[in-house]
Amino acid sequence: MARRVFLDGVDPWVNWSWLSSHVPTVLADLEQHVVLTVIAVIGGLVIALPLGVAAYRWTGLRLPTLGTFGVFYTIPSLALFALLVPYTGISGVTAEIALIGYNVLILLRNVIVGLDEVPNDVLDAADGMGYRPLARLLRVELPLALPAIIAGVRVATVSTIGIVTIAWVIGLGGLGELILQGYIESFHTPLVVGSALCVALALTADLGLAVVKRLAVPWARPA
Amino acid sequence: MNRKLGSRWLLAGVVALAIAATACGSSGTNPSTSKGSITVAGFNFPESSILAEIYAQALEHDGYTVTRKLRLGTREVIGPAIKSGQIDLYPGYAATDLEFYNSGAGEASGDVNATVQKLNTRLQPLGLEALNPSAAVDQNAFAVTKATQQKYNLTKLSDLAPIGNQLVLGAGPECPTRPFCKPGLEKTYGIHFKDFKALDTDGPATRAAFANGTIQVGLVFSSDSDLNKLNLVVLQDDKHLENADNVVPIIRQKVASDEVKNVLNKISATLTTEQLVSLNGQVELNHQDADAVAKAYLQQHNYFS
Repeated sequence: MARRVFLDGVDPWVNWSWLSSHVPTVLADLEQHVVLTVIAVIGGLVIALPLGVAAYRWTGLRLPTLGTFGVFYTIPSLALFALLVPYTGISGVTAEIALIGYNVLILLRNVIVGLDEVPNDVLDAADGMGYRPLARLLRVELPLALPAIIAGVRVATVSTIGIVTIAWVIGLGGLGELILQGYIESFHTPLVVGSALCVALALTADLGLAVVKRLAVPWARPA
Repeated sequence: MNRKLGSRWLLAGVVALAIAATACGSSGTNPSTSKGSITVAGFNFPESSILAEIYAQALEHDGYTVTRKLRLGTREVIGPAIKSGQIDLYPGYAATDLEFYNSGAGEASGDVNATVQKLNTRLQPLGLEALNPSAAVDQNAFAVTKATQQKYNLTKLSDLAPIGNQLVLGAGPECPTRPFCKPGLEKTYGIHFKDFKALDTDGPATRAAFANGTIQVGLVFSSDSDLNKLNLVVLQDDKHLENADNVVPIIRQKVASDEVKNVLNKISATLTTEQLVSLNGQVELNHQDADAVAKAYLQQHNYFS
């Protein structure tokens, strides 16, 4: 039942009268997109942080954790949504399992790399100052790993913003719904608006996180 | 120094939590007095959204609380969802749904009643039911231009048998081997065309070939929105070569009370392929919203009075 509509007239890139009467729809799609992305990134962080710390401490965990999520990462998102529907339904849970799963791999790697790169002499100094292991982790190692972790969050956020569009399969596409509508109806306006907002959202998020990093890691600023 | 590092870390955490808190603010809907809740789903093409909206708004008018899950993917998503009760109702297509639920056993035919009966045999053990089919079909069809129709005085496919050797057929490249395309036209109708042009399946190439006269007969879908606009006429499939893809509501038995069935059967009783073409055109060509188009349709047919 795939259909393509033959357009003999010229469809403008943006039909402003359609757009002006559909502002609430566009905003609702944008909001859904942001909500799905934010939950996916924070959910990924909640799993990847403790897992990354554990894999940093006990190196034997690295291969199994990175391997597991590495395999998960290779499952196409479209297939994953369809596979999960019988179990978790047409719900945000289905979308987030896929999105969080992808993010864990990205974030896990960066947490481990960030912690690995904390210089040994800093650790020795911390030990010399009498830090217990937990305090050393929270007050020395994690803060020093922060630049690498935030770099991971940036990659995860931008890639999630792209992947969310595919969640239209389960009716949760955010801006993907607009892109899909434009594609199905051979109608440029929702296609262009959806894509443009997606790019704008990714750029804004990336820039915003760069600012967060600057604020959170002042010592990394060039003098 | 340590304290400073800690507070920066805290700042990052607070920012993250603040974002999370904003994101998690959910809106709850409290059901008011209603006859019950029904979740209506639709596939990811406009016709399905329109049909689902027609079902949804008619049920709402009757006093049910309706949740919409529109523009879902394919049957591979909708099938499991209705079996597990996450959705209660969707606009199905008799033959395609039969072949989905029987895993492609080839039971569908051009006879809509037999097809729906077999579909119900498959749906029964799943706790599902197909209601009365409508006359509206979205299936493979063969169209001619209005000029050709008038020249040869055509209304149905059998009319092509005596004059087929003067006409060129255009369809997707798979047509010469598919039983529902060229071989079927030859066997069931005895139509032998002068030539066959491999184009696309109901796409721009087919339309261009109609326009410049390369083909006189072409494969389209019966509910395409642009048929009227392009002066194309679908010939009636009088010997039922094509599987009966009549629009039929597929519903969970649990919510299929007599009242719900009445509402949906009333819609199916009046829906025709011509209306489907017009409804699709309002969404696909004029870019109106499916809910507004559905509302206008129901008003026009006095469902709200």
